[in-house]
Order: sequence, then C-alpha cells, then structure tokens
Amino acid sequence: MAILSENGASEEPRLDKARHIKYWTRCLKTLLPHQYTSNDSNRLYLAFFIISALDLLGVLESVPSKEEREDHINWIYHCQHPDGGFRMWPGTDFGVRASKDNAMWDPANIPATYFALASLLLLKDDFSRVRRRGCLEWLPRMQRGDGSFGETCVNGVVEGGMDPRFGYCATGIRFILRGTMSGPLEIEGRSVGDIDVDSFVKCVQLAEAYDGGIADLGFHEPHAGYTFCSLGALAFIDRLEVGDHAHSKRSVATAPTNPSAVISWLAYRQTELTDPDAGIDSEFTAPDDTTDNDPSQKPGVGKIAKIQQKAVTPAHQTAEHSVGISIFDLLVDGAGMSGRTNKVADTCYGFWVGASLHLMKQPTLYDHAAMRRYMLGKTQHPVLGGFGKFPGDVPDLLHGYLGLAALGLSGCEGVKVLEGGMCLSREARERLPLLWKRWDVHDEE
Amino acid sequence: MGKYSEDPLWADIEPLPTDEGGPNPLAAIAYSEEYEETMSYMRAVMAANEYSDRVLELTEDLIDMNPAHYTVWLYRAKTLFHLDKDLREELEWLNETALEHQKNYQIWHHRNLIVDRLDDCEGETEFVEQMFVKDAKNYHVWSYRQWLVKRFGLWETEELEFTERMLREDVRNNSAWNHRWYIVNGREAEGVKGEWDEGLRKRELDFAKNAVGKTPQNQSPWNYLRAIVRTAGVPLASLKEFAEQYASLDRPDSVRSSFALDLLADIFAEEEGGKDKAGKALDLLAAKYDPIRKNYWAYRKSQLGLESSTPEAVVAA
Ligand SMILES: [Zn+2]
Repeated sequence: MAILSENGASEEPRLDKARHIKYWTRCLKTLLPHQYTSNDSNRLYLAFFIISALDLLGVLESVPSKEEREDHINWIYHCQHPDGGFRMWPGTDFGVRASKDNAMWDPANIPATYFALASLLLLKDDFSRVRRRGCLEWLPRMQRGDGSFGETCVNGVVEGGMDPRFGYCATGIRFILRGTMSGPLEIEGRSVGDIDVDSFVKCVQLAEAYDGGIADLGFHEPHAGYTFCSLGALAFIDRLEVGDHAHSKRSVATAPTNPSAVISWLAYRQTELTDPDAGIDSEFTAPDDTTDNDPSQKPGVGKIAKIQQKAVTPAHQTAEHSVGISIFDLLVDGAGMSGRTNKVADTCYGFWVGASLHLMKQPTLYDHAAMRRYMLGKTQHPVLGGFGKFPGDVPDLLHGYLGLAALGLSGCEGVKVLEGGMCLSREARERLPLLWKRWDVHDEE
Repeated sequence: MGKYSEDPLWADIEPLPTDEGGPNPLAAIAYSEEYEETMSYMRAVMAANEYSDRVLELTEDLIDMNPAHYTVWLYRAKTLFHLDKDLREELEWLNETALEHQKNYQIWHHRNLIVDRLDDCEGETEFVEQMFVKDAKNYHVWSYRQWLVKRFGLWETEELEFTERMLREDVRNNSAWNHRWYIVNGREAEGVKGEWDEGLRKRELDFAKNAVGKTPQNQSPWNYLRAIVRTAGVPLASLKEFAEQYASLDRPDSVRSSFALDLLADIFAEEEGGKDKAGKALDLLAAKYDPIRKNYWAYRKSQLGLESSTPEAVVAA
C-alpha cells in the first residue's frame, strides 16, 4: 500500500523467527503455565499446535531429539482408545480400574483423533500402531441422523454440539485414513462402512446464512471459524463447490450452494479495526450522531477512531483524501481479519478467513501485505515471541499457531508453505499418499 | 494434603491419579495440587460409577477449574437426574458459573439440557439479556436464545422488541440483526410466511432503512436489505433509489456508504448496458472508499467481463 511500502522493505515488520522458536521450544520442553488447566481436556489439540508450529518453523527435527520425538509419539499412542480413535488426554483412561461398566466415561473423541493423526503425520510416524479399522468403524457411529457429527459417543448417544468443527475433524480423519475413497472398504478382512457424505453436505447447505457466510446451524450467525470448518470438510470429502463451473456438471450434492456469496462474505472479513475496546461505533461517525463523538467517553479508542471522530463524516471521505490515497494508507499499519460482520480483527481469523479463500480457489482476494503487517507489526509479541489475539496481548498457543499458519498461506520468509485445508505444512500433507499406498486406498482427485 | 484427602467423608475413596504413560508427554500443564487432587478423586468416582450428592460437589470443583472437561458435564447431568435433584437449583449454580466461564460451550449445552427437562423457560430470557450486558455478541448465548425461541415458541412481538432493544444499544450488533432475521423467517419450514408476506416485508425494509439512515457505513442493515429482496424474489433494483441517497456516481466525492456503492454496482450490472457504470462504482471502491479490498473489487470487475483498471491491484498470493 502506497506510503508504507514506498518507503522500502526496511519499514515492513518482520517475523522474529528466533523468538517464535524460543516460544514454541518452551511450550514443548517445559510445563505450560497453570492457566492452561482449563484446557486440560483439550491437550491433544494443544499438542498439535506445538508440534505443527515447530514444523512450520522448520525445527521439528532439531528442537526435540530423536528420543524425545519417540516419547512424544508414544504419548500420542498412549491416548489411543482400545477400540480405535483417540482421547484428548489420558485423564479419562481408568487404567487398571477400567472395566466394561465404566467404559462409557472413557470415549474416543473426534477432534482428539484428527489432531492425533495430524501430529503423527508431522512426526513422520509410520502409523503402524494406529487402530485404523477400529477408528474407521467408529467414525460412522459419530454421525447423527441429520448428517452432523458429534464430539463423543457416550452410552449410545452422540454428544457435543452439532457444529462443523466436528464435521471438519471427522472428515479429516476419513481423509487421512482412507483418502477420498467412498463406500464400504475392506480392511483386515472386514468390510468397513462409510459415513453418509450426502447428508453431511446437506447440513452445510442448511447452515448457509442470509448474508453469504456459514454458521454452525441454520439461522445462526455466520462465523469465519465455522465457515472454514465447513469448507474444509467439503474439501476433504471432495464435495466443495468453488463456483468455477468445473464441478457444476457433477451429479453429486455439493456445497456451498452460492459460492460467490461465500467469497464475498470472506473478502469482507478483512478490516482495519483492531481495537477490541474501542467500540465499533466510533469507527464511522454519522453526522447527526453526537453521543459517541466525545473521545473522553471511550478510553480505549484507537488511533483511527479518534481521527475519525474529529470529522463529521468518515475520514476517508473528506476532501484531503480525495486523490486516491485513503486514510488507511497513511495511518494503518495493517489490516487483519474479523470473524463476523462488524467485529474487530483477531489474529486467528487470519487463518480461518485466509485458508477459506484459498479453499475457494481465490487466494489473491485479500490484501496479504496488509495482513502480514497487522500480524507482524501488531500481534507478534516483541519479547516472548508467538502471537496474541489482539495487539499487545500476551501470546497463547491457539493464536500463536494460527498466526504462523496464516503467514504460511501468505508466503512469508521463514515459515513453511501451508496446506490451508489441513492447517499444516504442505510438506507434511505430501506424505499422505505414501500411507494411502500402503493401505491400498487413494485420493480420487 | 488437600480438601478431599483430609475429609473423612471421602476416606473410602482411593484416588486414581492420571497416568501419562511415559516421559515427555505433550502439552503437559503445571497443574495446581488442588487440581491434581480433585481430578484423581473425580477419576476414582467415575471409575466406580458413583452417583451421589458428594459427587455433585466434586464435579462443581472440577468444572470450576476445567470447564472444558467433556465427560464430567455428562456425568454431572446423569447424577442430577439419577438423584432427581431440583433442577431450579442447578440453574442457579449455572448462573454463577456461566458468568465466570461465559465462552465455554459445555455450560450452555448443560443449561439447554436442564431447561429442556424442566419444560419451562421462566426467567431464561431475562438471564440471557443479563449475559448480553457483559458481551452482547457472545455466540453461545445467541445460539441458546434461538433454541429458547424455538423450544418454547417465543416468536411473536416480545422477541422482535428484544432485537429492537439490542439494536438501540448498538445498531452494529450483527448478532442482533441475525436474530431478527431468524424471528421473521425462522418458521418458513412450518409454513409461517417471512419476507414473502408483503406487509411484513415492508415493515422489515423500513426498519433496516431507518438503521442505515442512522449509520450509513454499517454493513449489517445493508446485508439485511439485500437478503430481504433476494429471499422475496423482488428485483435488486427496487433498492436503487434508496442506495443512491448514500452513493452516486455523479457525486463521487461525497459517497456516504461504501456498502451503498457495492449494492449499486450489483444493480447497475443487472441493467441493460449498465456494466460500465458498475465498473465505475467498483473502481471508486478500489481507489477510494474501500481500498483494502482492491483485489476483490478487481475480481468483481472480472466477473462482469470488465478489465481491471488498476493493474497493481492483483498481487501474487
Ligand atoms: Zn481468535
């Protein structure tokens, strides 16, 4: 964008790779601070963030030793359920006290299973200890009659929300363990059934909202995280419609039903709004709106907001900016992504939205440079490394990882190229066909 | 020594610590001693399938420290139903817990379960509104509100007034706009007319237009307007006169809303020979009113078969 980039590359904030490596090394080698206790039951996805971040930074084979990597692999297998699938952490495994009567309280978990398999792929495990048949037999049981997937199955009831995070992970498990082969599959001499792909597609169609985004359920507010999960799941089962007419002749059900509306909604997620405390009202001030015009009433208002409040019309419409340079070129050092309409940018949506646009085969529709500036200049932590959710926030694992992943989509020096649909490096994704070959399944694409 | 190991009430339970399986477990957390102890009692109780009053207390302690524990919530629900507990009391406990962990999904699922079982939503809409004071866009709370509406049939005037109240607080609250859409259109499957009803449609169009009048640079009501005409099968051009109040190619320096300009581009594109005008509107967005999306505006032009006039717009991914 005009002013900033004309001043030369030195003005561009850069990835402080050494600090990111330090951050993730600490996450791997020392205990996570006690504040993560509330995420104890999400440990496998935290584990995936750590392993995958080190992989994206190119140090997964140097930061942990070979022996340590073996230990990590063993821990993941320790979380494997005896009947297939994985638990989120060993906390539900009753060990010597496990019995038929308490087995219901120790279920395999859909997201845990996806993140376990993805982590094994990153660690170059040979998958020989994965209970593949059991896992693929369990998978269809995790789908409800309406096509949605749950998180766990306890006492014959599929539990957890109906939202597409579980659909994404379930179809991801299917993709890793059986490619895009549909229908019954012969494994270890037994015929293993498939999930109901068509009813899942219908589920996504019902969740398409009136403004083009995708929600978790019909009539819920569209959300970039759910939009990504829906699109990613459709890609895993080869039912994604991107609107390029290549697929429109297909006789099978596809989604989304209106790809250009989804693309437009995604493009609208990029935003200069960065201050979560500012209150979005201050961003554009209507001429007759006096109540929000006093900056002193809003202690947290951001830079742009303040400037705009002085003007009676939005600042980018005043005469001095009518020569083709917008106020944003002059003042904003980046534009991240929001998760919903009229919300501020948040690091993680750089991934959710960016990867969604990549999946829709429109990777150039957002301003990658402005996005990099938002993340590298604002949410990258200057001392600790990693990324926070909002500018100035301390880093956390989720935002630290999804920040790197978003950069991996954008072509950033020092970060491996990301396979958006799987949220891990393309390099790791390319190892999948080797597994498929061994299992005699293939990617039908 | 801790709360449970020192309590004679728990003396019969042999705690069951978690086994990490070997060295170098992943994402291990510096748990407090209190958490480790609570967890090891919880595990022992679950292994024994004990459903008792003391178990309810134990789950409360554990949930307070780890509200994401997916089986403990189910275990608690089973215990409550097994003991035939007063579910109103459970709601009171949930009220406090929800305020502390409002972003947690399980809490809302549990509440759902309890209220469904009570078959009575008294006080629930008030509680939801209280939650919105803390965060008026909390996704779980809005989802829960939708569930209440459907489960207890709260469709009519009160719920519309509620969206109006929320939008008076913040006219940019897209969650409230979405909820309004649901209230108006959420029963079409059951044969209740939404935007297809002309009187209703006029009311909703006026409502959204009025909101645009207050905040022209607010995408929510613009999206709402577009959705109404699309859903009702009314031509997009019916919004032309209204959009031109906020953006006009004749006065390119005084556009008051980039969303009006975007809408006009779509309206022009549908007009006979209107493609060039659509292109001009898109150029204006790219150059001046919404430059962060300049690649998107160039894409929109290419969709119309128009050449991009800003070659620098398309950058490599
Ligand atoms: Zn986030």
